[in-house]
Amino acid sequence: MSYNDRPYRGGRRRYHRDDYDDRRREETPQEKVKNAIIKLGEVDPVQELPAIEAHVRSLAPLNIPSLAEAFHVSVTEQPFKIPYYAALLRRLHDTPEDGNAEEPSLGKQILEEFWKGFQAYVDKLAWRETRSCIHFFAHLTSAKLVAPESLAILLQAFTAVLDEFGVSHGRAKRAALCAAEGLMIGGASLKAISSSSPSEIINALQIFIETTTNAKWIVQPALKLHSASVDVENADELLDSALTILKALDAIDFDAPCPRPYSEYPELDSAFFTPFTLPLVLVPPEVIELEGLSSEEEESDAQVRKEEWPEYFLRLFPDDVTPDPNTPAGYIVRTDLLAIIDIFEVNRKECARLLLEYPKWTLPGTFKPKPGAPPSEVEPVVPHEWQLESTILETVLGASLLLPESAYKQIYYIGLITEVCKLSPQTVGPAVGKSIRRLYSSLSDGLDVDISRRFMEWFSIHMSNFNFAWVWKEWVPDLSLAVQHPKRNFIRRSLELEIRLSYYDRIVKTLPEAMHSPDAHTVPAQAPGPNFEYDDPTHPYHDATQNILNLFRGRSKAEDVITHLDTLRNTLEIEASESGQSLSNVPNLIRRIAIQSLLHIGSRSFSHLLNAIERYLPLLRSVASGSTSTASGSPEAKVDILNAVASFWKYNPLMVNIVLDKFMQYQIVDPTDVVSWTFNHIAEVEESERDLRAPMSLSAVEWDLLRGALNKAIGRVSLSRRKLTALRKEDDESRARAKASGGNMDVDGETKEEPPVAENPALTTAIKAFSTLTREQKSVLSRTLEGFVACLAPSLTSTHPNPKVSEVLTENAWHNRANWGRDEWNAWETWGWYRQFCTAYSPYLRSYATTLTTISFARFEGQSDPASDLLQKIWNISIGQE
Amino acid sequence: MAHVVQALDQPSNYKDSQSRVDRQKQNELLANSTTLYVGNLSFYTTEEQIYEVFSKCANPEDGGGIKRIIMGLDRNTRTPCGFCFVEYYTHAEALASMRYVSGTKLDERIIRCDLDLGYKEGRQFGRGKSGGQVRDEHRQDYDPGRGGWGAQAQKAEIERRRQVEERYLDAQEGPGAVAGGGGDWKEMEGATEGKLKRGRSPDDEGENSRLGQRTRTEEDLEAERM
Repeated sequence: MSYNDRPYRGGRRRYHRDDYDDRRREETPQEKVKNAIIKLGEVDPVQELPAIEAHVRSLAPLNIPSLAEAFHVSVTEQPFKIPYYAALLRRLHDTPEDGNAEEPSLGKQILEEFWKGFQAYVDKLAWRETRSCIHFFAHLTSAKLVAPESLAILLQAFTAVLDEFGVSHGRAKRAALCAAEGLMIGGASLKAISSSSPSEIINALQIFIETTTNAKWIVQPALKLHSASVDVENADELLDSALTILKALDAIDFDAPCPRPYSEYPELDSAFFTPFTLPLVLVPPEVIELEGLSSEEEESDAQVRKEEWPEYFLRLFPDDVTPDPNTPAGYIVRTDLLAIIDIFEVNRKECARLLLEYPKWTLPGTFKPKPGAPPSEVEPVVPHEWQLESTILETVLGASLLLPESAYKQIYYIGLITEVCKLSPQTVGPAVGKSIRRLYSSLSDGLDVDISRRFMEWFSIHMSNFNFAWVWKEWVPDLSLAVQHPKRNFIRRSLELEIRLSYYDRIVKTLPEAMHSPDAHTVPAQAPGPNFEYDDPTHPYHDATQNILNLFRGRSKAEDVITHLDTLRNTLEIEASESGQSLSNVPNLIRRIAIQSLLHIGSRSFSHLLNAIERYLPLLRSVASGSTSTASGSPEAKVDILNAVASFWKYNPLMVNIVLDKFMQYQIVDPTDVVSWTFNHIAEVEESERDLRAPMSLSAVEWDLLRGALNKAIGRVSLSRRKLTALRKEDDESRARAKASGGNMDVDGETKEEPPVAENPALTTAIKAFSTLTREQKSVLSRTLEGFVACLAPSLTSTHPNPKVSEVLTENAWHNRANWGRDEWNAWETWGWYRQFCTAYSPYLRSYATTLTTISFARFEGQSDPASDLLQKIWNISIGQE
Repeated sequence: MAHVVQALDQPSNYKDSQSRVDRQKQNELLANSTTLYVGNLSFYTTEEQIYEVFSKCANPEDGGGIKRIIMGLDRNTRTPCGFCFVEYYTHAEALASMRYVSGTKLDERIIRCDLDLGYKEGRQFGRGKSGGQVRDEHRQDYDPGRGGWGAQAQKAEIERRRQVEERYLDAQEGPGAVAGGGGDWKEMEGATEGKLKRGRSPDDEGENSRLGQRTRTEEDLEAERM
């Protein structure tokens, strides 16, 4: 949206004190009316309508564009008020007592103007605004201001999108929702003129949904490896729900349970009034950037478009507590709440307020009255009495837990829930607690690994905002589950995240005794500090390390430290050869000592780390180069560096992430190095750790490392692409200028030679960088895919497979999961991260689909076993080839 | 949605009172700012805690991430004095923090974020008379998280204090005292070349010289909301 480029435009001034320019001006009468329209319903919308109508009519001179804009702002930014805006527009269609009934009414003029704005939304494919306007037009049809035939034609323009060849899921979904919701609201009027037009829309939707089975399978919120069909309990897919209720509504002639305040008003006199005919629209095709890079490149530099998938919203509560989105009333409530969450993302505090005020826009009886509120004067019209707070929680969490990713960052939804809690702690608190317990219990039933990860993130950040007050005691019995059971992972990982946000002693204090014991594997025995191997004075290399630390502390030059390390290597080689030991480990040892010492210097804080890295970059580069002098460094040396980092921060995964992120940033290691190292690292589980984890398995910790590396490589390509695009534009402009200043007006239309423009060296460099970075991105993706394949379908020669990796794929195994141990759960989780990798990175994977398929899946050619079949099925669906 | 509600990522009346940049230039800088001023921190809060929260707003897949964190220190004691700068690689990340993180708790205190003109040398130190932030000069209330500790303070917090007191004893002044955080990706030359090249991106240097920054560190002025 455009809120960035128009900081303030006469809306409502809520935050005077935050207005940094302190510029206050009087509102003009035009603005006053506009604001009155936008603010409709501060107290009671129905009672306010006559006053606002009078206010609008009192305006002189009338400014139709300004009034239409007020309706646009109102309808697109507050869709939950649309029925009342339809009522207001209906009132403005009345002829005033002193008016001439033959002149077009004020309302009609506004509607004609409003239409132009709608056309503009469609032309720029502003789907959110388009959808709200269609709701408005459907209500206007129901209010008999718009001709039903023209609404039917409008909705058909959107169902036509579903028939487009190769239509993307995102585009089809948005178009389908426009058509479906227009039909829900205006269906009664449509059916009255033609019983076939509703069923045409319903059929079109049904046919489209049938093509999405595979896509639904891969984003269902439970990870059930054995099941080839979509098998979803406690979640509803958005378009499925829409289709279900359209069918239900069709059966009752679209008597949809939404407020229709205009239905009270008398019919307009047909002698003077003809309903507005919505003009024809055409939904324009998506803009595809075709501008490619130079022809020898396989990849284009067009912006990568996020892939969109079916949307499964989790249900956390029974139907009598929160609305079932497969019922018309439930669908409407959820659609309104989702719209509020989407539109008010720019201000989570206002968003929270609007969510809690939402019941006033619904039919009486939709929600239970607030406890202690005076008895309502209006009789309930519907008997639902849902719980508002639980409904809000279910909807916000549902939106935040969509696979493969949510529309906004997790922290938005988390912050939003915090604000809702702050506004009404007594009523929202219990709903939060119940939501946590519900999600926690579904961890045993295959709740997806990335949904679990986000759940942990929400839980820990939420607790950090509310005094870390959680009743951990109730989960003590679950400590008897397998150590890698999702519930135990949840407990362990959430506590780790809580400790990151707070500090060790504070969090441990909140835990019951049973969770303290080391056997409980719940919290570490001490605060997650560094693990400096050479700290112990009895360590054979303690003194050697101290000398290096002293050089660092004395801020010696990097060259001097390099020289010192060379001397140390000579000494150690002499010692080794004198004692008859092999010399080959000495370089590894030197690297380990150097890196651990540097990390030790940088362990006081993130800034200390940055200072240490930056001051000793030449040293780090020298270590990374091994003994070679190639630009890419030595793979062996980089493995040593990464091992040293993992060992130094073995108790603190956050620090491993931070150090690797900065080592990649400073180009000590490349993203591919990190991915390769991660997969090698999980192959070798230390004996002491074997009780806790299976080899060749990924947990959320390793997934974080992979994600860090993947995103770094992708981020570099995206930066480089932006730079390249800017340079290209600049270059084109300078060429154009050069051409123009050449002054050869080409009257005959003959193309003359372009005046020679000097090669732009910056552009050449940028093209080269882009191609290098694109190669690196491809290599990271390829290495990750190979890594997953090696974990999940280990070759016969694999040295450290997870012994249970092929045993978790059958239905029997799944039903026997109560008896699963560490290895089974580890294998299951690794499958989960594989699915997440394929779906979340699908837009990037698609660019290299052919090569990656060949590299990773060629060895399965001609054979069929459950693991390789499943690997390839997930892969093929993700890249859009199944 | 500028019409119905005010977005939370608009610049507030926060400003660097010592900045010598005119208002128009300041607005331009803020419109592209990648730096946040973060206030009302506990003196005990560590950079890693800050990193954990602010990394939730990072867009690494878009070339973003946390570039660096600069802890605000008491000028005299070199201990944290309750504010910091968080610098991202992209403007969008700074805006996201304004929308999602400002006004939530970090280390159990409600923190406040503001878009900042960008870190300049010297700004890591408190500007109050006694070395800390000005707001702590005049504060009347007892605030255990901001130096108001005593008998009531938890033992654990005393231990944490010991750790933080040591942590920044080595803090330096002058150019290069604060690391840059690593620049954009560059084509690597031969890795063993002994070039002493700093990791700052060229943009940083350009900006410094362009603004010709000067600070009056001894003056009792304040970088905080008035």
